[in-house]
Amino acid sequence: MTLPNAQPSALELRLSSYLDGEASDQDKHELEALLVNDSQARVLHDSLKRGGEFGRRVLDDMLKEPVPLDLVRTIKNAPLPRRAVRLPQAPRAPLAFRPSGAQALLACLLFFGVGGGIGYMLAAHPPMPDFARTSAPASDARDWLDDVVAHYRLYERQESRLSEIGADRPADILQWLTTNTGVSFRIPNLSDSGLTFAGARLVAADGLPLGVLFYKRSDGENEVIALTFSKTRPDTGRPIEDIRNDTGLVSWSTPLATFVLVGPSSAADLDDIAAKAAGLI
Amino acid sequence: MSQSTPTTDIRRDLVALLPRLRRFALTLTGSAPEADDLVRLVCGRAIHKSHHWKGEGRIESWLFSMMRSAWADDAKKRRKSDAASQSADLNAPAGDPARANYLLLSLPEGLASSFLLVEVEGFTYKEAAAVLGLSKDVLASRLCAARLKLAALGMDVAERRA
Repeated sequence: MTLPNAQPSALELRLSSYLDGEASDQDKHELEALLVNDSQARVLHDSLKRGGEFGRRVLDDMLKEPVPLDLVRTIKNAPLPRRAVRLPQAPRAPLAFRPSGAQALLACLLFFGVGGGIGYMLAAHPPMPDFARTSAPASDARDWLDDVVAHYRLYERQESRLSEIGADRPADILQWLTTNTGVSFRIPNLSDSGLTFAGARLVAADGLPLGVLFYKRSDGENEVIALTFSKTRPDTGRPIEDIRNDTGLVSWSTPLATFVLVGPSSAADLDDIAAKAAGLI
Repeated sequence: MSQSTPTTDIRRDLVALLPRLRRFALTLTGSAPEADDLVRLVCGRAIHKSHHWKGEGRIESWLFSMMRSAWADDAKKRRKSDAASQSADLNAPAGDPARANYLLLSLPEGLASSFLLVEVEGFTYKEAAAVLGLSKDVLASRLCAARLKLAALGMDVAERRA
């Protein structure tokens, strides 16, 4: 059986709210005055109060009913969910990245600039030459001094064909090498160091003409020393003493030319010879 | 019992609250078996989600809200069980639990739970409306209607006794 569900009147609603202490202060004063003066309102108020008391009594009685034992057991024996255990650890620095508006704008401009620069470089340099350059790291590592050493090692073994123009034609050598290398020079007399001029050659080192003056030891050991010169190279600003492939070399530069004295790595006086040659050439 | 800290075993709180949970479930379902099933379901969920309960406010509010939501989710069960209603006997002696239950369950749907939360559990209109998913006005209307119906039922019971 279900009782009809009629909507309460406005007065009933106000009185019900008044019973629960939910009426506004103004409504409360009006209802208190109404209850004093209006008998029908008092009847309604009493009826609502009586209904509340009756219902509360019924509902309180419900609590006296025994709770099913299986329900209690079910709850008591229910497994608790596993909790993630957080082990103690050192506090970590906050990783949150929250750039401000100005920072974001700056980053955008920076990326725009970098992107534009990369695009410009790609457009200015065709990819093929770049690829050729990057795909041949050995040629990058090999500098012009390696060419000088290679020529020396090749010709110092050619006893009968050491030079293209022999030492008996110094004028031709001067003209020829000066014209082709662009370097004005003299043929140094290194007899004080025990060296005799043996002739000259013109070779290329790293694409540039290189004049080579050959000298031989006067003590009969057939040791060959080469004095080479080329137009000034920007990468030889300071003197170099080095040994490459058992070949010793000493390099120095003037404003007009770069000189390299090459000889066997066993030649202990190579730097002395270079010092003398630098003053005489 | 109204406050519970997260470190407390929620199962103890649930067992202590069982009579009140069953009573609220009964106002929703209208039958004891369905009320017990609903309580079992909600208690299981509460244990599973116990880490969500931060110990703020009344745990009853959380449990009642879950219960109302679980019951509302099952639309088929929203209709009160006729069998349960028919099993209760209005002519049973006064003070018989079956009769008391019947009187309560005979209220139109939604009135008993509103009445229980405000009149018995002491919830404010705002709290009770939040638990039941109603507006304050609808709750006030249902509460007033429940009081009027219960007043009529009380009169009827008094006349029968006389």
